[in-house]
Amino acid sequence: MSCKKFRILLSAYLDQEITKDEEKKLLNHLKTCSGCTRELEYLKQIKGIFLLKEKKEPEEFFETRLLARIKNKGKQPIWQAYFPVFKKAVLVIFIFFLLIVGTVNYKKFFYHRPAEIVSDLLIDTQLEGNFEEELLEIYYGPLG
Amino acid sequence: MEEDFELLAKFKKGDQQAFELLVRKYKMTVFNTIYSIISNTQEADDIAQEVFLKVYTKAGSFKGGSSFSTWLYRITVNRCVDELRKRKNKIISYETEFNREDELKLKDVLVSKEGDITEELRKKELEDIIQKAMNSLPEKDRIILTLKEIDGLSYKEISQVMKISLAKVKIWLFRARQKLKEKLSFLYPEE
Repeated sequence: MSCKKFRILLSAYLDQEITKDEEKKLLNHLKTCSGCTRELEYLKQIKGIFLLKEKKEPEEFFETRLLARIKNKGKQPIWQAYFPVFKKAVLVIFIFFLLIVGTVNYKKFFYHRPAEIVSDLLIDTQLEGNFEEELLEIYYGPLG
Repeated sequence: MEEDFELLAKFKKGDQQAFELLVRKYKMTVFNTIYSIISNTQEADDIAQEVFLKVYTKAGSFKGGSSFSTWLYRITVNRCVDELRKRKNKIISYETEFNREDELKLKDVLVSKEGDITEELRKKELEDIIQKAMNSLPEKDRIILTLKEIDGLSYKEISQVMKISLAKVKIWLFRARQKLKEKLSFLYPEE
């Protein structure tokens, strides 16, 4: 087993979460590997830091405030008590509204606008046709 | 554990006092778990209230597949994850860098005998130094270290709370400790 694998085991060893067999292998390895032995000491020190951490108290009257909150929640109108759900529902309806408005405008744009474009093009085609006829007259004399 | 189930059963039958007893029993644990992950006392207090509010409203859906405390830890961690996700969209500055004074204080504490600790260093200062180290870690590492080192959960309990395999708990804890070790590298002589 490599030192890297033993180092993963070291972390679990500190938490007393390795099997007897793993422990035996690890302790044998530690007898011969100064790097892993040093690593174990560092990890012990890091674990020790958390033991120095003081437990903090929540702010005053935690239970009283909590019970007041529960009581108020009970008094709230249904839509307020379920406001997050209500908010989501409003958002979904709004998105649907935008989609419908978007679809209507899309239709307006693509079903009315093309007619204008085509008529513009027709004028251009007409002009181009006349221009071609003029050219033919210049080269071959009056048509017909 | 049996006591928790009994209290919960009483609460489900409408006994408000049973709920209050559960709150009294777990409020410190829930608060300290949140504080260790979120690093703000006021917000930790508010989130702790929301956690118990959820317990109050969702107690009926708890089927007892795990212990009450595991269920409570899962609600707590999930709520913390939600909060951290919200924060990603905001600019919040944590103190994560150690100054020379912090380094010396921590070194002094670690080489001194246990009895001298309170004389040498005010607890508040030490608290800040440890929290700075925690703040410097990614959220996943902060959560797993909190569950192990602050709450003292076993690997099995952590795997249930975080919904990950035991092998992952082992690896994630190893990596979190490596990152913390890098952060506290000033404590160790160069190899």
